[in-house]
Amino acid sequence: MLNFILKRLAQSGILVLVMSALVFVGMYVVSDPIAVLAGEDFTEEDRRVLAQELGVDKPLIVQYVNFLGNVAKGDFGTSFVYNRPVLDLILERLPATLEVAFMAMFIGLVIGIPLGVYSGLNQKKPTTKAISFMTTVGYSIPNFWQGVLLIMLFAVWLQWLPASGRGDTTEIFGVGWSLFNLDGLSHILLPAMNLAIYKICLQTRLARSGTQEVMYQDYMTFARAKGIGRDRLIRRHLVRNILIPIVTITGLQIGSLIAFATVTETVFSWPGIGKLLLDSIHNSDRPVVVAYLILITLMFVSINFIVDVLYALLDPRIRYT
Amino acid sequence: MSAETTPVDAGTLAQRKSKEPSFAEKFRKAFRGYPSAQIGLIGIIIFVLLAIFAPLIAPQDPYDQMRLDILDGLLPPGSKLGDGTVSLLGTDALGRDIFSAVLYGLRISLVVALVAVIVGSIIGVFMGLLAAMKAGWVETLIMRTVDLKMSFPGILLALMVLAIFGTGVDKVIFALIIGAWASETRLVRAVAMSELKKEYIDSAKLAGLSDMRIMWRYLFPNSISPVLVVLPMSISGAIGTEATLSFLGVGVPITEPSLGLLIANGNDYILSGKWWISIFPGLVLVGLVLCINVVADRLRDHANPYLRGKD
Amino acid sequence: MSELIKVENLTIAYPMADGEVFRAIDNFSMTVSRGQIVGVVGESGAGKSTIGKATLGLLDENAVIDTGGVHLDNIMVSHLEEHAQVEIRGNKVGYIYQNPMTALNPVLTIGEQIIEAIEANTNKRGAAARDYAIALLQQAEVPLPEERLEKYPHQMSGGLCQRIVFAIAICAKPDLIIADEPTTALDVTVQKAVLDTLVRLTRQENIAIILITHDMGVVSEMCDYVYVLRHGKLVESGPAEQVLQHPKQDYSRELMAAIPRIDHKVERFAVPGGLGQVADRERAIAYLMGRQTEAGEEGQPLLRVRNLSKTFETKVTALKAATSFKAVSDVSFDVFPSETMGIVGESGSGKSTVGRLILGLHTPDPGYEIVYRGREISELKTREEKLAHRKSFQCIFQDPYSSLNPRMSAGENITYPLKAHGMLGKEEARELAGDLMELVGLPRASARKMPHAFSGGERQRIGIARALSFRPDFIFCDEPTSALDVTVQAELLNLMKDLQDQLGLTLLFVSHDLAVVRQMCDRVMVMKSGEVVESGPCDKVLVDPHEAYTQGLLAAMPRFEFAPVA
Repeated sequence: MLNFILKRLAQSGILVLVMSALVFVGMYVVSDPIAVLAGEDFTEEDRRVLAQELGVDKPLIVQYVNFLGNVAKGDFGTSFVYNRPVLDLILERLPATLEVAFMAMFIGLVIGIPLGVYSGLNQKKPTTKAISFMTTVGYSIPNFWQGVLLIMLFAVWLQWLPASGRGDTTEIFGVGWSLFNLDGLSHILLPAMNLAIYKICLQTRLARSGTQEVMYQDYMTFARAKGIGRDRLIRRHLVRNILIPIVTITGLQIGSLIAFATVTETVFSWPGIGKLLLDSIHNSDRPVVVAYLILITLMFVSINFIVDVLYALLDPRIRYT
Repeated sequence: MSAETTPVDAGTLAQRKSKEPSFAEKFRKAFRGYPSAQIGLIGIIIFVLLAIFAPLIAPQDPYDQMRLDILDGLLPPGSKLGDGTVSLLGTDALGRDIFSAVLYGLRISLVVALVAVIVGSIIGVFMGLLAAMKAGWVETLIMRTVDLKMSFPGILLALMVLAIFGTGVDKVIFALIIGAWASETRLVRAVAMSELKKEYIDSAKLAGLSDMRIMWRYLFPNSISPVLVVLPMSISGAIGTEATLSFLGVGVPITEPSLGLLIANGNDYILSGKWWISIFPGLVLVGLVLCINVVADRLRDHANPYLRGKD
Repeated sequence: MSELIKVENLTIAYPMADGEVFRAIDNFSMTVSRGQIVGVVGESGAGKSTIGKATLGLLDENAVIDTGGVHLDNIMVSHLEEHAQVEIRGNKVGYIYQNPMTALNPVLTIGEQIIEAIEANTNKRGAAARDYAIALLQQAEVPLPEERLEKYPHQMSGGLCQRIVFAIAICAKPDLIIADEPTTALDVTVQKAVLDTLVRLTRQENIAIILITHDMGVVSEMCDYVYVLRHGKLVESGPAEQVLQHPKQDYSRELMAAIPRIDHKVERFAVPGGLGQVADRERAIAYLMGRQTEAGEEGQPLLRVRNLSKTFETKVTALKAATSFKAVSDVSFDVFPSETMGIVGESGSGKSTVGRLILGLHTPDPGYEIVYRGREISELKTREEKLAHRKSFQCIFQDPYSSLNPRMSAGENITYPLKAHGMLGKEEARELAGDLMELVGLPRASARKMPHAFSGGERQRIGIARALSFRPDFIFCDEPTSALDVTVQAELLNLMKDLQDQLGLTLLFVSHDLAVVRQMCDRVMVMKSGEVVESGPCDKVLVDPHEAYTQGLLAAMPRFEFAPVA
């Protein structure tokens, strides 16, 4: 087990390094920050001074090594646009994103797994067919357009919920949360729902196909032959087995949730890191984009790592290899 | 159980196996008794035909800026335009006919997704077969690259590529290809690895056939079906991703608006009640993706022996 | 004795996709008395397992009981509701599954799985249930029962898993145990021990057994009464001795005649085996004889193997030392022209690995010698030399379902390599494929069909035709009949003998089945854990073995005793 953990850690480290290099080089080669920041009236001299200030006049490799050194110290550079440390910008927006992502994940699991197990066990019932069709529809609606529809329905026509923004936050441990006051809650509901609908569909399908697969296994027939009642059969033999793929995919999906939050945040003007990324891409705010991508790589890699370890803990067949 | 049918025993069943279904028969069998999948299939055909014949059907060429009249702007569905024609689905701020724009948008969305998925799949299948056949550094290199790619959600990777290379139809296709190949590689390699263990591969080796022949005549035809099964899903996924990118303003340019970009343009008018600009392209987009997904689901379920009952 | 189980006119049907109905069991009746061991035998597709599942209400959802039913103690159990079935399962009827490795849930410990069965079917709870579980495991002769409770199924061998399944099946002292091919997945020595345990456990408690099996040897040793099924219909029933020794029906006679016997070598099995069109067959033989390469020298071995070893190693990683496993260790043997040499051993004995090594599919550890027709095969350098060797040195594979390329027609499978090497044109290849199909007893026209249209036995024939297409002198046969039904096996073995006689082939025949080896081989080599235990003429080694291991193998073989059918 320790071997396994160390090996995965080493792999993760390499992954982050490779990704950071790719992102850094990509951003350097393609977009020229001087062209963006320099005014129309800048002279050659002004441009040179600006380049010096930003440190972009040095060879690429030097810039990258400097950058890595600074990153190690927690310094991701300064935003061209906001003129503030990038890390601060990202960190102050991170809670908003995490909040909405985890809420969506929670809703997805709580609704999706029971629906999926139910559909898997009752394949021929009309309710199952209805659930199955709904998941396909939910799967097919592009996230952003679904957001537009939610705004139209709940904000424009029914006027139950606000269309955008984060609303009031409650300060807990120095971080503002929307979940703990009514105004914040009313603001988070639509974005969280928008993200959750896809998750619900995904979890339902996963749980359904898992259930169907496990139901046909010899050990399920044998467990029935032992005289085990249906409830216990489902609770123990079935759920334990389908949990393995669900945990894996759920874990891996945290990454995609945060990525998809980019879209939701844009639609609902939710002040998270996704919106920051898009704004920065539009403004060619290179340090922010680079820092975001590297941090998110780090995050994904950590999530994958945790999922792998969890997976090994859940499945005794993996544990000893 | 009806009395008229003659029961079959295992003996006659075994003899009967020699009838081999053609591809068309298999295809029909996959859809028989599934009306929603049949509707989906018809839907796809209609959408494709609409896209192909868009220039013939559309009342207006939405790319021709000269023909647009700003006075026709923001008219609701069914309004009469300046030139006397009726705009079926209304117009946008520039006076562009939504119906025409949707047809052309459908075209761009489909072409971008198809090109990306087909190119991506070809690369993916080839890489997968190669990784399975050639152990050692070739495999390591390919599979580590796949891991690298797979640890990023497609949308983020596409954003990254577009942030680096800028926007445009070609860039979007490139970003989608980058997003598409890796999962196919992983899939094909997994299937190919299990095929490689089978004895017919050994028999080919014992016959002294070259690696290339084994790869194309033995491995490839037996590893390809899972990819074909997920292909529709990949296409609908690519359509959705392209739409999202365009909606976010990093996808196709305003001069060649896809469905996603049309929705984005209309989005600004939603709060002022001009719903048709955004809703109609959205409906077409969802309809298209839904039709493909219904068909994709059917194909996947049909390919999965667990759901077919044990036969 | 009272009737425990009464099956009356049972018909179980499955609706098929095209609106027709498939009858898995057709108007079948049987009775089982308390404490009786009843065999239900038949080949694949006979519907044997369906009877067991019907008794426990475990039929697939789409199965329909058309007529009749199963009575347990005069209660119709086949039509009960699920919740009533739960009362009977485990409590009155225990079930033993074919494959013990898949019958146990991989993510629950052995303890959890036994104790939940105990708690479901007895009034023991908690610590009492745990103690009882340990006692049961002891009875089932599972060593270190207490430790096993914490283990997972994948950490145990197949034989141990099956003993655990036994313990679960008998936990509530049921009246009946349905054992569905309980030892098919196990080696013969393990099978013997496991069956002995099962019989002891059930005799103690006067539990009746319905033993579903295809293995006549097991039936002959265990059963009091036997029912022979074919295609879902009852062929014959009666006391085991009577049915096995004096079968009345044609099919049962054929079935008994097809069983390879260890005590008596027959020239050919007395089964009907249709050969193909005479003209085509002769053309094929003429073609093959015309391409015969120079025969090996008289008295010299065709194949000479010395000091063959193979160590499989896991890779060294930064933190883990390499582990190695010696699959084959220092094996030497000779095969002489036109003889059949057998290699016999249980799973893990390295017998198939020997084959893969001499075929060149694995590379042996250094220091070996494989000389074929007087030439060391590792010294073959040019393309031509290698190809010539390949053509002369072919293989028939074990699994008929994976040994043909599913995306090529039968004919393509046979002749594609010849075409790829430019040895045959399109037209010639088609002719040859047809001729070879007839040679192995398949209609010429079926060369156009895809592999999935053929049965296992037919596929194996295609595999033989493919090996023959190169006109080999030597064929390595890797358990070619182990996946087949016994009558199909008999036909195929007859065919192989015919072909060997006509073409003068040299065979190296690997099998786990001593009786098959006895029927096929002139000489035999017994292997265990990668090493040769003993070798010599079959008539010596398989009749009066020298080594204790071989003696044990022979003793573990279920004896199939009956007067030879003329």
